[in-house]
Amino acid sequence: MMDHRDVERFSGSTRSLHWIVMLSALILAVTGMVLYVPQWGFIAQDGYTRVIHRVAAVFFVGVPLIYFITHPLKTLRFVLEAFTWWRDDWKWLKAAPDYYFGGDESKMPPQGHMNSGQKLFWTIALLSSLGFIGTGFIMWFLSEQVTGWGFHWSLFIHDVCLIVGGTMIIVHFYLGVVHPRMTESLRSMITGKASTEYVKGHHGKWYRETSLKPRKMNEVDNT
Amino acid sequence: MPGKAILFDATKCTACRGCQVACKQWNDLKGVETTNRGTYENPANLSVETWMKIRFIEETNNGSVAWLFARQACMHCTDAGCINACPTQALYRHTLGFVAYDKNLCSGCGYCAEFCPYDIPHLDTNQITGFGKMDKCTFCQDRVTNGLDPACVATCPTGALQFGDRGELLMQGWSRARTLQGQGHPDATLYGENQLGGLHVLYILDRGASTYGLPVDPQLPLAQTALRDIMRPVGYGLVGAVTVGLGVNYLVARARMVREKEDR
Repeated sequence: MMDHRDVERFSGSTRSLHWIVMLSALILAVTGMVLYVPQWGFIAQDGYTRVIHRVAAVFFVGVPLIYFITHPLKTLRFVLEAFTWWRDDWKWLKAAPDYYFGGDESKMPPQGHMNSGQKLFWTIALLSSLGFIGTGFIMWFLSEQVTGWGFHWSLFIHDVCLIVGGTMIIVHFYLGVVHPRMTESLRSMITGKASTEYVKGHHGKWYRETSLKPRKMNEVDNT
Repeated sequence: MPGKAILFDATKCTACRGCQVACKQWNDLKGVETTNRGTYENPANLSVETWMKIRFIEETNNGSVAWLFARQACMHCTDAGCINACPTQALYRHTLGFVAYDKNLCSGCGYCAEFCPYDIPHLDTNQITGFGKMDKCTFCQDRVTNGLDPACVATCPTGALQFGDRGELLMQGWSRARTLQGQGHPDATLYGENQLGGLHVLYILDRGASTYGLPVDPQLPLAQTALRDIMRPVGYGLVGAVTVGLGVNYLVARARMVREKEDR
């Protein structure tokens, strides 16, 4: 029998964090790319896109910072999970093409709250964010202090982060919203809930761990 | 490298700075208040209000002091770091060879200033908002395209500044440099023939270029070449390849799901 009860995947504060960071990242990407794609250059004239870029940057840095201050342990657990790789994660990556192309789930090892692909996304997202923030800070506040090459390579790293991080966002968007088999990930990031069926299949390890705890499923706290 | 050029003869410059005043007057630039720094060189740096100035150099050699003067303003390079770096194409090469700019297009990003090997472009940027515009020597575009000499050249009383066809000025400059060599200046040279693909401001110098504070062999920064020639195609290529890959994945996965449904 299908289990239609819902499991809470993401808390309200985590979902707010996701959407605010996503929105500011999108604004940052568009207002930054007017200086990257020569044909879009005319949009940047008079520097209004830079003001928007800087306001979005304040949100991009400030909101995760507030989240970290208000949920320090949760944040650290989350980062720790993303950076911890088990043998199962390599198995998952090897089996992933068969699943994402052919729908063959049989070789996928059971996953925790975050699957290996999400870990990979998170690692790259976090590293490129740190790259963006560090070099952006230099170019915004320290352009007078750094010598020529300091600015040149900041700009270069900023661009590398755009290419790497931007590509990962495209993949993230595709897997979360477009891929025909990913029926519940977008819903879980909007409502916070996913069906038990979906969670058993996609995050089996996490489901087992949380369902062993003596509380009701819809009260499960998670990162 | 055809086009026009300005020829500066350091041995004829008396540092009267009439050129500095003429530049401000013609281009309607405000005077800036300065403080005594122990030198006649004034103001200390180029800015949005000062597009050219004369630099004062004191050279001590075997107990004797030489007072040297060098013009400082945009060199109008052929391989111009500023044009390469400008994301809005506000900076461009004029058909007469110099580096012109359309201030309306300027976004105030300041990349031109960061990538200029001579530290010429300056901006009046607000640190917080980033609003600002770049300014630099325009080669008196409005004058030279109407048959007049640039303001600095027109006013120079000693003939230290000349304006004309770059090819002719090159010949004239080298001939003057060789004369100086014969007059006891073995290091005399013409600066600007080959630097950065050829400058449109040439210097007759009686000493080595480095004595006058000019880089002997200026190079565009490696990061700039890497940005323009490698990162841009890599970025387009990666995003293109990933998008195509995801499209293929969608079609394959979709077809597979349809088949599963039919089989059931």
